[in-house]
Amino acid sequence: MLDTLTPVRYRSTHVMTGTPMQRTPPEMLQGTVDVLILRALAVQAMHGYAISRWLDERSDGVLSVEGAALYQGLHRLERQKLIAAEWGLSENNRKAKFYSLTTAGRARLRSEASIWKTYAAAVHKVLSPA
Amino acid sequence: MITGKRLFKVPWRSRTTIARDVDAELGFHFEMRIAELRARGASVDDAHRQATAEFGDLEFTRAYCRREDERAASDERRADALVEWRQDVAYAVRTLLRSPGFAVASLLTLAIAIGANTAVFAVSRAVLLQPLPYADAARLYQVFTIQPDRPVVSRNQLSPADFADFENSQSSFAGLGAAAPSTAMILQPASGDPISLNAIDVSSNLFGVLGTRALYGRTLMPGDEIHGQDHRVVLSYDTWSRDFGGDPRVVGRSILLSGESYVVVGVMPRGFTIDEREALWLPYDQKGTLADVVRARKQHYVRTIGRLKPGVTAARAMEDLRTIAARLALAYPDADSGRTAEMRPLTEMLTGDLRPALLLLEGAAALVLLIACANLANLALSRTTGRRRELATRAALGASRGRLVRQLVTEAVVISLAGGALGVALAAVGTRSLLALNPTTLPSLFHATMNGGVLAFSVAISLATGVLFGLLPALDASSGNLHESLKEGGRGSSGGRASGRARASLVIAQVALALMLLTGAGLLVRSFARLTHVTLGYDPNQVVTADLRAAGGRYDDALAVTAFYDGVIQQLAHTPGITTVAAMSDLPSRGSSSTSVRIEGQENDESQLRELRYVSVHGDVFKTLRIPIVAGRDYDASDRPDIPETTILNETAAKRYFPNGDAVGHRIKIGPDPNGAWMTVIGVAGDIRGDGLDVPPEPTIYANHRHEPWMRSMSLVVRTSLSAANTGALIRAAVRAQDPTLAVNDVETLDDVMGESLAARRFALGLAVSFALIALVLAAVGIYGVLAYNVANRSRELGVRIALGASSRRVVSFVVGQGMATSLAGIVVGVAGAAAGARLLRGMLFDVTPLDVGTYGVVAALLLLVALIACAVPAWRATRVDPLTSMRAD
Repeated sequence: MLDTLTPVRYRSTHVMTGTPMQRTPPEMLQGTVDVLILRALAVQAMHGYAISRWLDERSDGVLSVEGAALYQGLHRLERQKLIAAEWGLSENNRKAKFYSLTTAGRARLRSEASIWKTYAAAVHKVLSPA
Repeated sequence: MITGKRLFKVPWRSRTTIARDVDAELGFHFEMRIAELRARGASVDDAHRQATAEFGDLEFTRAYCRREDERAASDERRADALVEWRQDVAYAVRTLLRSPGFAVASLLTLAIAIGANTAVFAVSRAVLLQPLPYADAARLYQVFTIQPDRPVVSRNQLSPADFADFENSQSSFAGLGAAAPSTAMILQPASGDPISLNAIDVSSNLFGVLGTRALYGRTLMPGDEIHGQDHRVVLSYDTWSRDFGGDPRVVGRSILLSGESYVVVGVMPRGFTIDEREALWLPYDQKGTLADVVRARKQHYVRTIGRLKPGVTAARAMEDLRTIAARLALAYPDADSGRTAEMRPLTEMLTGDLRPALLLLEGAAALVLLIACANLANLALSRTTGRRRELATRAALGASRGRLVRQLVTEAVVISLAGGALGVALAAVGTRSLLALNPTTLPSLFHATMNGGVLAFSVAISLATGVLFGLLPALDASSGNLHESLKEGGRGSSGGRASGRARASLVIAQVALALMLLTGAGLLVRSFARLTHVTLGYDPNQVVTADLRAAGGRYDDALAVTAFYDGVIQQLAHTPGITTVAAMSDLPSRGSSSTSVRIEGQENDESQLRELRYVSVHGDVFKTLRIPIVAGRDYDASDRPDIPETTILNETAAKRYFPNGDAVGHRIKIGPDPNGAWMTVIGVAGDIRGDGLDVPPEPTIYANHRHEPWMRSMSLVVRTSLSAANTGALIRAAVRAQDPTLAVNDVETLDDVMGESLAARRFALGLAVSFALIALVLAAVGIYGVLAYNVANRSRELGVRIALGASSRRVVSFVVGQGMATSLAGIVVGVAGAAAGARLLRGMLFDVTPLDVGTYGVVAALLLLVALIACAVPAWRATRVDPLTSMRAD
């Protein structure tokens, strides 16, 4: 599982507003781009930009994945055959590369998600006031 | 909009496509982001700047994505290749199952060819490549003395004195070690008959020169040979485990050998040997040997082995030895003038006899494999030609030419691997029968096993065979216009002129190769026939031999030796079933010793005395072996030890020394001592082929053992109607009656003794003949296959001819003529090839030239006959073609 863990870099500007925002301490939330991508694609097939938008909205701008990390993650996952890619037309009729989950990717998402939830719950429990 | 499942497989992307795709993808991202920022009111420049800043390391990401995609593509290519390959194999197996005739024919051909190659490889590897039981054996050399001015130059061992001088003066070897024959030792076990153990005397440094340490205890040391202390002995592994129960505690103990006490100082590891036959090593007493000044320089029996010093080349060592030899020739002209030194690699000495035979076999096996390849290529050609329609269909469905070629080659490889597996099984059996052909003379053959190396070899040749016989038809079948064959309906297509030519040249090659093999085998068979018909000069039938040795202190008295042999011979001679009995020092076909000779009344050049083979005879040897006395008389009771010595020469000696034919009555003197006693020639015995059938007789003296009874080891020769085993029992009883401490060795028939000198020849011959026969059968199958295919393919043409009034005779002669033309071409090529190749056989031929016209004629006629038979069936079938059916076929 460790090889799929990639640190999420947090943008210091807010995606939606473009204004500088308070940086969340990155060392504490060692996230993984891969699992976030898999989760995004579980909704529907998307191109890279749509994934970044979806993540932004879904986390209220907290988990904003840097473009570099996103595309590296996409190509890595494609090579692992967890996602598949196909060229198609975007909503504004431009040629774009659409990604979708494969069966293996769906299975991976399930196992990663449950690990993450356990982990997050544990961290939450530790940090909660006694 | 996207299902996530791909209906069509995207072809693998190239590097350029991948780069372009990555750029397009990232470009799209930027475009979207900038558009969004602009929509929110940012200026063009600001939007650009922010998008770039947000993105992070663009260059790295671009490179990373490309690399990931390229890797994914190559993973996919590999996976696809694997899938395709599995498809090919499955398809190959299915097609083969659909044409079992083709599959079985190919499998058998391959099994025979690959089996033969594997067996020969296993054996020759064991014999030629098996390392000697010494460390870094490549730097070990054996040193000889030769007399280059003699008409027949032969390598001799060194004399003890020369050995000492070479050893002291040389500077090229880390050491020169000596091995000298020793008397066999008799071991009396607690129960049972005494055992005779072969022993050799070795210098204390020889083990070190060979680089072998003792398994237990130590090897010999300087000082072990000194008299007045306990004798010392080193045991071989076999003797130690068989006769001493494999007990390491035997080291340091005293054992009784021939009645004397010896301390066992060590046991050598398994497989270590110097002479291949010895059981014991005793210290070589150089000082004692050199004390006999006359004999020390003139008797050549010290086998000398040296290890080159590091950095010294063989050429320099040779020069060193020659310089010493030249100095010795000046210092001791009567013994060493005309002599120089020579050295040969030790490895070559041990496999020397067999090397040509094995190389011959390897060549023959390789030829058989080539013929098999040609055969299979031919079968496959005919088959793929018939499959053009199938191939055309596949091509039309999108299979590339490469894919079709690979498909056909895969089929060939599948067959050849299966054939190879059968072949290895066959080889395992074959190796054993190779061993059975004659194990006694080829000791290292025992190590021939099917090991990893041999298996790797057979897998390699199977693969190579598959590619070789699959590629040609595949290229042929996939070439040309496949669409044409689709349109044609596949029926009338004869595969084009090119593949017709290919098939014809394959048959020519096959016939040529078969002819070469048959010629080689024929020449060997002829040599063998000549050899066995050479007059032996004696009658080995119904003669049983056994080796005896009067060992022990009581036989220091020469009269006791005479009495012992007299007693044994007397007792046996009176046994029913035994006609005559005698004893001789060297059996015909076994090695012999020689001596120098001086003739009374003739010029005897003391520096270059003539050499004479020396055989000592006791009793009626000539009668027993049925060697005629051609002049004078045999020994009789009047030739007692106390009256002036008498002697018998063979015809060659008599003719050479007394050209006037008056040998009887003249006197000669033998041995190194010029003051020895004269001996009168009383008789001349007929020549025998003593040194092997292919060696002309040498001048020989048959000395009377009663006159020189110092020779203690003799071979009994018994002419008898009894079996060897029964005779052996009688001999043992007779020896026990004379002296129960003595051993009887090597009871065998004289036929067998003689057979040993023919064994290597028979071995090579049997195999060469079987290979030639295999080749003949394969070639016949090949010719038949091509003609049968042609007839089947041209049935329409033949039908037209018949309809137009061609008689069956015309049709037959048409088909046969075609087959014979091809075969004749093959024979012409083959004769040329055989004439070129037969020169390699020269060393193995006897009384037959490599260009023996008779052999070539017989072989060519035989091949033509076989070709004719192979033509007959297709020709007959051609006359049965029904014009109506064949023309209506389309």
